[in-house]
Amino acid sequence: MGRKKQKVVLPPDLPPDVAEDDVEVSDEDLAFVKENIEHVGFLNTLDTQSITRHVTRVADVKEDALESLYEQRLRKKTLLKEKDENLLEVDPVDALPVKTPDGKIVFRTVPKVPKVAVDTATEGEATSDNEDNVADKSLVRLSKAEKRAKFKKLRKEAKKQGKEVTEIEEVNETSQADVLEEVKKDLTAEEASESKKYRLAEIGTALLTDPEANIKSLSEMLQISKSEDHAIVTLGLKSLLAVFKDIIPGYRIRLPTEKEQAMVVSKAVKKMRFYESTLLSVYKAYLLKLFYLEGKPAFQRVAIRCICSLLEAVPHFNFRERLLAVVVKNISSADDVVRKLCCATIKSLFMNEGKHGGEVTVEAVRSIAALVKAHDCQLHPDSIEVFMSLLFDEDLGRAQRAPVDKRSRSKKFKKRKNQEEQPNQLLNNDKKKARKEMISQTQEEVDAEYKAASFAQDIAERRRMQTETLSAVFEIYFRILKHTFQTRTDATSGSYVSSGGHPLLVSCLNGIGKFSHLVDLDFMADLMSYLRKLARGSGDGNGSPEDCSGCLTVSERLQCCIVAFKVMKSNLDALNIDLQDFFAQLYQLILEYRPGRDKGEVLAEALKVMLCDDRQHDMQRAAAFIKRLATFSLCFGAAESMAALVTLKHLLQKNVKCRNLLENDAGGGSVSGPVANYHPYSSDPNLSGALASVLWELNLLSKHYHPSVSTIALNIANLTNTTNQVYHANVSPQQAFAELSLEKESFNANIDINKSGNKRKRVNVQQAVPTVDDAEIASRTDEVEVRKKLSEHFFLLRDISENGRLKSELDRTTKSLQLYQQYKKQKKKQR
Amino acid sequence: MRPLDEKETTQVFEKLFNFTGNNLKNIVEAPSHEGPESNPGRYCFRLNKNRVYYVSESLVKRATNVKRDKLVSLGTQIGKFTKGGAFHLTIQSLNLLAANAKHKVWLKPTAEMSFMYGNHVLKGGLGRITENINTNDGVVVFSMSDMPLGFGVAVKSTQDCRKMDPNGIVVIHRADIGEYLRMEDEL
Repeated sequence: MGRKKQKVVLPPDLPPDVAEDDVEVSDEDLAFVKENIEHVGFLNTLDTQSITRHVTRVADVKEDALESLYEQRLRKKTLLKEKDENLLEVDPVDALPVKTPDGKIVFRTVPKVPKVAVDTATEGEATSDNEDNVADKSLVRLSKAEKRAKFKKLRKEAKKQGKEVTEIEEVNETSQADVLEEVKKDLTAEEASESKKYRLAEIGTALLTDPEANIKSLSEMLQISKSEDHAIVTLGLKSLLAVFKDIIPGYRIRLPTEKEQAMVVSKAVKKMRFYESTLLSVYKAYLLKLFYLEGKPAFQRVAIRCICSLLEAVPHFNFRERLLAVVVKNISSADDVVRKLCCATIKSLFMNEGKHGGEVTVEAVRSIAALVKAHDCQLHPDSIEVFMSLLFDEDLGRAQRAPVDKRSRSKKFKKRKNQEEQPNQLLNNDKKKARKEMISQTQEEVDAEYKAASFAQDIAERRRMQTETLSAVFEIYFRILKHTFQTRTDATSGSYVSSGGHPLLVSCLNGIGKFSHLVDLDFMADLMSYLRKLARGSGDGNGSPEDCSGCLTVSERLQCCIVAFKVMKSNLDALNIDLQDFFAQLYQLILEYRPGRDKGEVLAEALKVMLCDDRQHDMQRAAAFIKRLATFSLCFGAAESMAALVTLKHLLQKNVKCRNLLENDAGGGSVSGPVANYHPYSSDPNLSGALASVLWELNLLSKHYHPSVSTIALNIANLTNTTNQVYHANVSPQQAFAELSLEKESFNANIDINKSGNKRKRVNVQQAVPTVDDAEIASRTDEVEVRKKLSEHFFLLRDISENGRLKSELDRTTKSLQLYQQYKKQKKKQR
Repeated sequence: MRPLDEKETTQVFEKLFNFTGNNLKNIVEAPSHEGPESNPGRYCFRLNKNRVYYVSESLVKRATNVKRDKLVSLGTQIGKFTKGGAFHLTIQSLNLLAANAKHKVWLKPTAEMSFMYGNHVLKGGLGRITENINTNDGVVVFSMSDMPLGFGVAVKSTQDCRKMDPNGIVVIHRADIGEYLRMEDEL
């Protein structure tokens, strides 16, 4: 049956006039359906009946009878089908072409739907949906209610008349209801859902192939997705999403006003309007559904996924504000999947500004700003991280300004010229002027038209939007900084009970670092003072660790220093400013660094930005940093000490005077400046008197277990005062750190081979007092290996002790045996 | 020779604080390793003939042996009281200030000479400047090779320096090492 129908379906490449007829009908279809509601029910019944009978009867009849039965049925079916098809044609969608007498049907594309409807349990719904897109719900309910009401009354009649396929409407109603009931009983839930899935797929493909003709079945899809079954809802939402992504036009739909509707328009326009309004209304319903489901935990992910991909695919279309609002609301959701989705969507919005012309960017940034404000800066860092993908086109302003200048200049030039030539060529000039004006006028007109026609946006407009975005972004950043500072001061003053950290600070600092070249010079002073206060961390360098709950971690403070340097560097090439405070902070932070707790990458970056990139340093300060870095590299792992040593070498190469540190006499006197002795714990690099000390650490470091560290230590030690070595670019501390930290794993194997003997000795010797050094080595080497060896060792120890115990026991027993024997002997003797 | 009275002390300390900020503590508490005593003494301020000296305690003890009107100088002179009663830092205090300076300015080599002839520091001559200088802060002037050249008072904050034209004055001259030659007799 399906095949034949498909044949029927295929022909409908119809002349356009038929289609127009259709449209007319469908416009009136509400009224039509109301009138002919029985007809509709009737035709539905016919289809199902034949099938159900097919199903029910075959089961009853014996095999012999089957053949004849089938033949009979075939005949009947052919008969039926003619009627059937006729009846199908009554379907209001194609109401007019129906009446062809010969049975060859002038079918439009829609009939696919009824075909499937025959197979499904939801046929009643489906067909009625098909008939009437707008008022479908009420209709469906109505017909069902009718069915139920009549069902009891007419059951007997139905049984009698059910066999014959006759045309009394009421009977048909009841028989349909009857059949429906049976089918519903027969079909398991699985089958129902299965059929729904097929239905979804079919409508989907139909819509994709010819959206204009099938636009009405959109709402049916929506209907399907309203079922209770979780899987069906998900599928429905997703397939609707796919359809919408495909069929939504590249422009914004504006519904016609009443005045416009009243006007007489051509059929094509009418059709278009109908299409658009249907699309829009279903889209709106779909979105409402999504927003509703987004609140339910079971559907949240699906709904968010749909919303996100819709926003990503069609940011220009209607209702984007509401989509955006939902996405932004979920941007710091606790659910990882949801948050990642939302962030990715916002990022892609930022990246592909061409799709929506930048308006959505501004909106998104603003709404995120509002979110940050509302949540008092307690959000997930991802929500701020998205700004990193913002793009600001700096050439925009320049490109626009240049032509203006040129024009004005040429005007001036012209004026001057005119003034010079005025006396003798006045008449001539007038003519020329008139012509020129004409030309320029036409030129302007053409320009205006071109601008209107071209897709490109006005540069001024884009500039304005960029400025807005930028100011919103910086507003967020400054708000976060301020908030961090406030909670910190509160915490130190004691009125605040341990703030919950500053989740946004790191990404905020990253953002400021990235957009540092765009900071307004007027904000600069405030920004720097905030950064200074934040970098200072707990109080003025004498804060004890217990009141540090509200203050920042070492990494965050390092980050503050880095950002300050970046801001300075990108803005102030003209004036070379020395950031003394931040150097003092770094000097202290190096001591506070702990390898496990803080991020080594940040430290390496700080070393790079602050010590390597800066052009000059005071001798005192450089010496202080050299000394401290050397001390530092003694205490930590290979990666950290490598980064420190690279920086150290760099400093030594730049500051020739500091190479006095390499000489083997404690300097002091005039060389060491005003401070006679080295103060290892001083907080100010300028007052540490490091020049009075000697870099003895290098000697120890040259015996470092890691070959590259020991090489570089030797290398540095061989830098001398006399040989002025050629300055060559080194690897940056960051690179050194990254290399070694990557190398860690592969290097461990080497260590095991080279040092296993050595280490075992150490473990044996020092097991009672595990030193820091020992523990570090142990952590570096393969843990499993160490564990194995330790366990071997302890097994051995235990065995030995066990042995001793057994031996003593043996001794005791032998002794007691001997005693017993002696006792026996004595007894014998006594006897 | 006598210790400073309360009023004089505040005057001196205010001036020094203007240049050194919290590092003033280092100046006052710095241990002195002069004299035969094993445990280091402190430095103190002494007034002699309207001039203020920064002297180690052991030296003060020994200077008591000299008659007051015969005593020309002791320790390091750091400033003098004018007849009107105001306190001025003199160029001899430069070493002390430079070691503890809070605000610094580095001069380009071309501008060094001009400064050492007693001129103010112009923006064009700035090689480098510490951030966070405010108006009226005391500033120590260095050459690019970190040699202290003198000191002065900031006219503009670091932020304002950015917007200035190259001929604007950044630091007003107070004292420079050129005075050792120019005003040899007065010192």
